[in-house]
Amino acid sequence: MGVSELEDSSRLLDEKLLLFMDQLALLEEKRATLNSLIEQGWFSMSKARYSMGNKHVSALQYASEIEPLVSVHARTLDNGEVDFCTERVKQKCSNEAGKDARLIEDIGPQEEGVRRRIKPKKDITEKDAREEASSEKVPEVTPVRKGDQNPQQDPLKWFGILVPQSLKQAQSSFKQVIELSAEIATLQTAVLNTRQELKHSMKDKHILQEEASAAQLDKEAD
Amino acid sequence: MAGRGKLIAVIGDEDTCTGFLLGGIGELNKNRKPNFLVVEKDTSIAEIEETFKSFLARSDIGIILINQFIAEMIRHAIDGHMQSIPAVLEIPSKEHPYDAAKDSILRRAKGMFCAEDFR
Repeated sequence: MGVSELEDSSRLLDEKLLLFMDQLALLEEKRATLNSLIEQGWFSMSKARYSMGNKHVSALQYASEIEPLVSVHARTLDNGEVDFCTERVKQKCSNEAGKDARLIEDIGPQEEGVRRRIKPKKDITEKDAREEASSEKVPEVTPVRKGDQNPQQDPLKWFGILVPQSLKQAQSSFKQVIELSAEIATLQTAVLNTRQELKHSMKDKHILQEEASAAQLDKEAD
Repeated sequence: MAGRGKLIAVIGDEDTCTGFLLGGIGELNKNRKPNFLVVEKDTSIAEIEETFKSFLARSDIGIILINQFIAEMIRHAIDGHMQSIPAVLEIPSKEHPYDAAKDSILRRAKGMFCAEDFR
Protein backbone atom coordinates (compact mmCIF):
# COMPACT_ATOMS: atom_id res chain seq x y z
CA MET A 1 0.00 0.00 0.00
CA GLY A 2 2.81 2.39 0.99
CA VAL A 3 4.63 1.75 -2.27
CA SER A 4 1.55 2.38 -4.38
CA GLU A 5 0.89 5.62 -2.50
CA LEU A 6 4.48 6.66 -3.15
CA GLU A 7 4.08 5.86 -6.83
CA ASP A 8 0.84 7.84 -7.04
CA SER A 9 2.49 10.76 -5.31
CA SER A 10 5.43 10.62 -7.72
CA ARG A 11 3.09 10.48 -10.69
CA LEU A 12 1.14 13.49 -9.41
CA LEU A 13 4.37 15.36 -8.87
CA ASP A 14 5.49 14.62 -12.42
CA GLU A 15 2.18 15.86 -13.81
CA LYS A 16 2.36 19.05 -11.80
CA LEU A 17 5.94 19.63 -12.86
CA LEU A 18 5.04 19.21 -16.53
CA LEU A 19 2.09 21.58 -16.07
CA PHE A 20 4.39 24.10 -14.39
CA MET A 21 6.88 23.91 -17.26
CA ASP A 22 4.11 24.30 -19.83
CA GLN A 23 2.74 27.33 -17.99
CA LEU A 24 6.19 28.92 -17.82
CA ALA A 25 6.73 28.34 -21.54
CA LEU A 26 3.34 29.88 -22.35
CA LEU A 27 4.06 32.81 -20.06
CA GLU A 28 7.37 33.43 -21.78
CA GLU A 29 5.68 33.31 -25.18
CA LYS A 30 2.97 35.78 -24.19
CA ARG A 31 5.55 38.04 -22.61
CA ALA A 32 7.51 38.15 -25.85
CA THR A 33 4.33 39.09 -27.73
CA LEU A 34 3.49 41.75 -25.14
CA ASN A 35 6.94 43.30 -25.31
CA SER A 36 6.84 43.28 -29.08
CA LEU A 37 3.42 44.99 -29.16
CA ILE A 38 4.54 47.64 -26.68
CA GLU A 39 7.60 48.40 -28.81
CA GLN A 40 5.36 48.60 -31.86
CA GLY A 41 3.16 51.08 -30.03
CA TRP A 42 6.13 53.25 -29.09
CA PHE A 43 7.41 53.21 -32.64
CA SER A 44 4.01 54.35 -33.94
CA MET A 45 3.89 57.07 -31.28
CA SER A 46 7.34 58.26 -32.31
CA LYS A 47 6.16 58.49 -35.93
CA ALA A 48 3.12 60.49 -34.80
CA ARG A 49 5.35 62.74 -32.74
CA TYR A 50 7.57 63.30 -35.78
CA SER A 51 4.64 64.53 -37.85
CA MET A 52 2.72 66.40 -35.14
CA GLY A 53 5.53 67.80 -33.04
CA ASN A 54 7.06 66.70 -29.76
CA LYS A 55 4.71 68.50 -27.42
CA HIS A 56 1.61 67.42 -29.29
CA VAL A 57 2.04 63.80 -28.24
CA SER A 58 2.86 64.11 -24.56
CA ALA A 59 1.38 64.28 -21.09
CA LEU A 60 0.45 67.91 -21.80
CA GLN A 61 -2.39 66.69 -23.98
CA TYR A 62 -4.09 64.54 -21.35
CA ALA A 63 -7.68 65.58 -20.65
CA SER A 64 -8.52 67.15 -17.31
CA GLU A 65 -11.21 64.56 -16.74
CA ILE A 66 -10.86 61.01 -17.92
CA GLU A 67 -13.11 58.03 -17.53
CA PRO A 68 -11.78 54.55 -18.15
CA LEU A 69 -12.91 52.86 -21.33
CA VAL A 70 -11.66 49.44 -20.31
CA SER A 71 -12.07 47.58 -17.05
CA VAL A 72 -10.77 44.25 -15.82
CA HIS A 73 -12.82 41.58 -14.06
CA ALA A 74 -10.99 39.38 -11.56
CA ARG A 75 -12.61 36.06 -10.70
CA THR A 76 -11.08 33.84 -8.04
CA LEU A 77 -11.36 30.16 -8.91
CA ASP A 78 -11.74 27.24 -6.49
CA ASN A 79 -8.11 26.24 -6.76
CA GLY A 80 -6.94 29.71 -5.72
CA GLU A 81 -6.06 30.93 -9.21
CA VAL A 82 -7.44 34.24 -10.42
CA ASP A 83 -8.88 34.73 -13.87
CA PHE A 84 -8.54 38.24 -15.29
CA CYS A 85 -10.53 39.39 -18.32
CA THR A 86 -10.92 42.81 -19.83
CA GLU A 87 -14.12 44.51 -20.86
CA ARG A 88 -14.22 47.53 -23.10
CA VAL A 89 -16.92 50.17 -22.70
CA LYS A 90 -18.75 50.99 -25.90
CA GLN A 91 -18.39 54.65 -26.56
CA LYS A 92 -21.53 56.67 -27.29
CA CYS A 93 -20.67 57.82 -30.77
CA SER A 94 -24.16 58.77 -31.90
CA ASN A 95 -24.87 60.93 -28.85
CA GLU A 96 -21.62 62.74 -29.27
CA ALA A 97 -22.46 63.46 -32.88
CA GLY A 98 -25.81 64.79 -31.74
CA LYS A 99 -24.16 67.01 -29.16
CA ASP A 100 -21.70 68.26 -31.70
CA ALA A 101 -24.54 69.11 -34.04
CA ARG A 102 -26.28 71.04 -31.30
CA LEU A 103 -23.05 72.80 -30.47
CA ILE A 104 -22.68 73.90 -34.06
CA GLU A 105 -26.24 75.13 -34.21
CA ASP A 106 -25.98 77.06 -30.98
CA ILE A 107 -22.87 79.01 -31.78
CA GLY A 108 -23.60 82.70 -31.65
CA PRO A 109 -26.07 84.74 -29.67
CA GLN A 110 -29.33 83.02 -28.87
CA GLU A 111 -31.33 86.16 -29.05
CA GLU A 112 -31.20 88.65 -31.81
CA GLY A 113 -31.63 92.32 -31.26
CA VAL A 114 -31.87 93.93 -27.87
CA ARG A 115 -30.48 92.21 -24.87
CA ARG A 116 -31.48 93.00 -21.37
CA ARG A 117 -28.95 94.85 -19.36
CA ILE A 118 -29.05 95.84 -15.77
CA LYS A 119 -28.90 99.59 -16.24
CA PRO A 120 -30.98 102.60 -15.12
CA LYS A 121 -33.97 102.62 -17.45
CA LYS A 122 -34.62 106.36 -17.47
CA ASP A 123 -31.43 107.48 -19.24
CA ILE A 124 -31.41 105.03 -22.09
CA THR A 125 -33.78 105.04 -24.97
CA GLU A 126 -34.59 101.97 -26.96
CA LYS A 127 -32.48 103.09 -29.91
CA ASP A 128 -29.46 103.59 -27.72
CA ALA A 129 -29.90 100.14 -26.28
CA ARG A 130 -29.92 98.56 -29.74
CA GLU A 131 -26.83 100.45 -30.80
CA GLU A 132 -25.00 99.35 -27.72
CA ALA A 133 -26.02 95.77 -28.26
CA SER A 134 -24.77 95.73 -31.83
CA SER A 135 -21.51 97.55 -31.29
CA GLU A 136 -20.30 96.04 -28.02
CA LYS A 137 -18.80 92.64 -27.74
CA VAL A 138 -20.96 91.14 -25.12
CA PRO A 139 -18.99 89.08 -22.65
CA GLU A 140 -22.08 87.50 -21.13
CA VAL A 141 -23.57 86.11 -24.29
CA THR A 142 -24.44 82.47 -24.35
CA PRO A 143 -23.58 79.94 -21.72
CA VAL A 144 -20.14 78.76 -22.64
CA ARG A 145 -20.20 75.55 -24.60
CA LYS A 146 -16.59 75.20 -25.45
CA GLY A 147 -16.77 71.62 -26.61
CA ASP A 148 -17.22 70.39 -23.05
CA GLN A 149 -14.93 67.45 -22.83
CA ASN A 150 -16.81 64.24 -22.54
CA PRO A 151 -14.73 62.26 -20.03
CA GLN A 152 -15.56 59.09 -21.94
CA GLN A 153 -14.36 60.36 -25.27
CA ASP A 154 -11.85 58.51 -27.38
CA PRO A 155 -8.41 59.50 -26.04
CA LEU A 156 -7.28 60.08 -29.63
CA LYS A 157 -9.30 63.29 -29.55
CA TRP A 158 -7.01 64.78 -26.90
CA PHE A 159 -4.39 65.09 -29.61
CA GLY A 160 -6.54 66.91 -32.12
CA ILE A 161 -9.39 66.31 -34.50
CA LEU A 162 -7.26 65.02 -37.34
CA VAL A 163 -4.59 62.72 -36.01
CA PRO A 164 -2.12 60.83 -38.14
CA GLN A 165 -2.66 57.19 -38.87
CA SER A 166 0.43 56.31 -36.84
CA LEU A 167 -1.24 57.54 -33.65
CA LYS A 168 -4.26 55.33 -34.38
CA GLN A 169 -1.89 52.42 -34.92
CA ALA A 170 -0.27 53.18 -31.58
CA GLN A 171 -3.67 53.12 -29.93
CA SER A 172 -4.50 49.82 -31.59
CA SER A 173 -1.22 48.30 -30.37
CA PHE A 174 -1.78 49.40 -26.80
CA LYS A 175 -5.35 48.10 -26.84
CA GLN A 176 -3.95 44.69 -27.72
CA VAL A 177 -1.34 45.06 -24.98
CA ILE A 178 -4.09 45.69 -22.45
CA GLU A 179 -5.94 42.52 -23.40
CA LEU A 180 -2.74 40.52 -23.33
CA SER A 181 -1.87 41.96 -19.92
CA ALA A 182 -4.99 40.37 -18.46
CA GLU A 183 -4.01 37.00 -19.93
CA ILE A 184 -0.50 37.32 -18.54
CA ALA A 185 -1.83 38.29 -15.10
CA THR A 186 -3.99 35.14 -15.16
CA LEU A 187 -1.01 33.01 -16.18
CA GLN A 188 1.15 34.51 -13.45
CA THR A 189 -1.30 33.54 -10.73
CA ALA A 190 -1.57 30.07 -12.31
CA VAL A 191 2.22 29.67 -12.30
CA LEU A 192 2.51 30.70 -8.67
CA ASN A 193 -0.39 28.45 -7.72
CA THR A 194 1.15 25.45 -9.46
CA ARG A 195 4.47 26.25 -7.78
CA GLN A 196 2.75 26.11 -4.37
CA GLU A 197 1.06 22.82 -5.22
CA LEU A 198 4.39 21.38 -6.31
CA LYS A 199 5.90 22.39 -3.00
CA HIS A 200 3.11 20.69 -1.03
CA SER A 201 3.24 17.57 -3.19
CA MET A 202 6.99 17.43 -2.63
CA LYS A 203 6.52 17.54 1.13
CA ASP A 204 3.88 14.80 0.96
CA LYS A 205 6.22 12.67 -1.12
CA HIS A 206 9.07 13.09 1.35
CA ILE A 207 6.76 12.09 4.21
CA LEU A 208 5.65 8.98 2.28
CA GLN A 209 9.27 8.14 1.46
CA GLU A 210 10.23 8.34 5.12
CA GLU A 211 7.26 6.15 6.10
CA ALA A 212 8.15 3.65 3.38
CA SER A 213 11.80 3.47 4.46
CA ALA A 214 10.76 3.11 8.13
CA ALA A 215 8.41 0.26 7.18
CA GLN A 216 11.22 -1.37 5.18
CA LEU A 217 13.55 -1.18 8.17
CA ASP A 218 10.91 -2.78 10.42
CA LYS A 219 10.48 -5.66 7.97
CA GLU A 220 14.20 -6.28 7.83
CA ALA A 221 14.45 -6.17 11.61
CA ASP A 222 11.75 -8.84 11.81
CA MET B 1 -21.87 46.34 -8.41
CA ALA B 2 -21.26 42.79 -9.58
CA GLY B 3 -20.83 43.99 -13.11
CA ARG B 4 -18.47 46.84 -12.26
CA GLY B 5 -14.95 45.96 -13.23
CA LYS B 6 -11.67 47.03 -11.74
CA LEU B 7 -9.19 49.49 -13.13
CA ILE B 8 -5.79 48.93 -14.65
CA ALA B 9 -3.20 51.22 -13.08
CA VAL B 10 0.10 52.19 -14.67
CA ILE B 11 3.34 53.53 -13.24
CA GLY B 12 5.66 54.40 -16.07
CA ASP B 13 7.54 56.95 -18.07
CA GLU B 14 5.67 59.43 -20.23
CA ASP B 15 5.58 57.29 -23.34
CA THR B 16 4.33 54.26 -21.43
CA CYS B 17 1.58 56.22 -19.69
CA THR B 18 0.57 57.99 -22.89
CA GLY B 19 0.33 54.70 -24.71
CA PHE B 20 -1.82 53.02 -22.09
CA LEU B 21 -4.00 56.09 -21.67
CA LEU B 22 -4.53 56.02 -25.43
CA GLY B 23 -5.66 52.46 -24.90
CA GLY B 24 -8.36 53.72 -22.55
CA ILE B 25 -7.32 52.65 -19.06
CA GLY B 26 -6.99 56.12 -17.54
CA GLU B 27 -9.18 57.56 -14.82
CA LEU B 28 -8.89 61.12 -13.63
CA ASN B 29 -11.58 63.15 -12.02
CA LYS B 30 -11.94 65.68 -9.23
CA ASN B 31 -13.11 63.17 -6.66
CA ARG B 32 -10.60 60.39 -7.04
CA LYS B 33 -6.91 60.16 -7.46
CA PRO B 34 -5.64 59.13 -10.89
CA ASN B 35 -4.83 55.52 -11.61
CA PHE B 36 -1.57 56.41 -13.31
CA LEU B 37 1.72 58.04 -12.42
CA VAL B 38 4.02 59.57 -15.01
CA VAL B 39 7.53 59.04 -13.68
CA GLU B 40 9.95 61.73 -14.76
CA LYS B 41 13.60 62.32 -14.02
CA ASP B 42 12.80 64.35 -10.93
CA THR B 43 10.19 61.95 -9.51
CA SER B 44 11.41 60.71 -6.14
CA ILE B 45 11.56 57.05 -5.17
CA ALA B 46 9.42 57.88 -2.15
CA GLU B 47 6.67 59.21 -4.40
CA ILE B 48 6.81 56.13 -6.61
CA GLU B 49 6.65 53.82 -3.61
CA GLU B 50 3.80 55.80 -2.07
CA THR B 51 1.84 55.65 -5.31
CA PHE B 52 2.47 51.92 -5.66
CA LYS B 53 1.29 51.27 -2.12
CA SER B 54 -1.77 53.44 -2.64
CA PHE B 55 -2.65 51.39 -5.72
CA LEU B 56 -2.26 48.20 -3.70
CA ALA B 57 -4.54 49.57 -1.01
CA ARG B 58 -7.31 50.48 -3.47
CA SER B 59 -9.95 47.83 -3.91
CA ASP B 60 -10.86 49.03 -7.39
CA ILE B 61 -7.53 48.26 -9.07
CA GLY B 62 -7.09 44.82 -10.60
CA ILE B 63 -3.79 45.07 -12.42
CA ILE B 64 -0.77 47.35 -11.93
CA LEU B 65 1.53 47.82 -14.90
CA ILE B 66 4.97 49.14 -14.04
CA ASN B 67 8.11 49.73 -16.09
CA GLN B 68 10.74 47.26 -14.94
CA PHE B 69 13.39 49.94 -14.36
CA ILE B 70 10.94 51.71 -12.01
CA ALA B 71 10.10 48.40 -10.36
CA GLU B 72 13.82 47.97 -9.62
CA MET B 73 13.71 51.20 -7.59
CA ILE B 74 10.99 49.80 -5.33
CA ARG B 75 11.87 46.11 -5.60
CA HIS B 76 11.43 45.54 -1.88
CA ALA B 77 7.84 46.81 -2.05
CA ILE B 78 7.04 44.65 -5.07
CA ASP B 79 8.62 41.54 -3.57
CA GLY B 80 6.55 42.12 -0.45
CA HIS B 81 3.29 41.96 -2.38
CA MET B 82 2.08 38.37 -2.12
CA GLN B 83 -1.61 38.74 -2.98
CA SER B 84 -3.10 37.77 -6.30
CA ILE B 85 -5.12 40.96 -6.64
CA PRO B 86 -3.96 43.40 -7.80
CA ALA B 87 -1.64 41.56 -10.16
CA VAL B 88 1.67 43.34 -10.80
CA LEU B 89 3.09 43.15 -14.31
CA GLU B 90 6.55 44.43 -15.10
CA ILE B 91 6.87 45.83 -18.58
CA PRO B 92 9.82 47.13 -20.59
CA SER B 93 10.57 50.75 -21.20
CA LYS B 94 12.18 52.37 -24.22
CA GLU B 95 15.61 52.49 -22.67
CA HIS B 96 15.42 49.36 -20.51
CA PRO B 97 14.33 46.13 -22.21
CA TYR B 98 12.51 43.49 -20.18
CA ASP B 99 14.75 41.14 -18.21
CA ALA B 100 13.04 37.98 -16.99
CA ALA B 101 15.76 37.44 -14.39
CA LYS B 102 14.65 40.59 -12.57
CA ASP B 103 10.90 39.89 -12.65
CA SER B 104 9.59 39.31 -9.09
CA ILE B 105 6.99 36.78 -10.15
CA LEU B 106 9.39 34.67 -12.20
CA ARG B 107 12.02 34.77 -9.50
CA ARG B 108 9.48 33.47 -7.02
CA ALA B 109 8.39 30.78 -9.43
CA LYS B 110 11.82 29.59 -10.53
CA GLY B 111 14.29 30.43 -7.81
CA MET B 112 13.36 27.93 -5.15
CA PHE B 113 14.11 24.70 -6.92
CA CYS B 114 17.12 22.69 -5.86
CA ALA B 115 18.55 19.34 -6.96
CA GLU B 116 16.74 17.47 -4.20
CA ASP B 117 13.37 18.56 -5.52
CA PHE B 118 13.83 16.41 -8.59
CA ARG B 119 14.67 13.16 -6.79
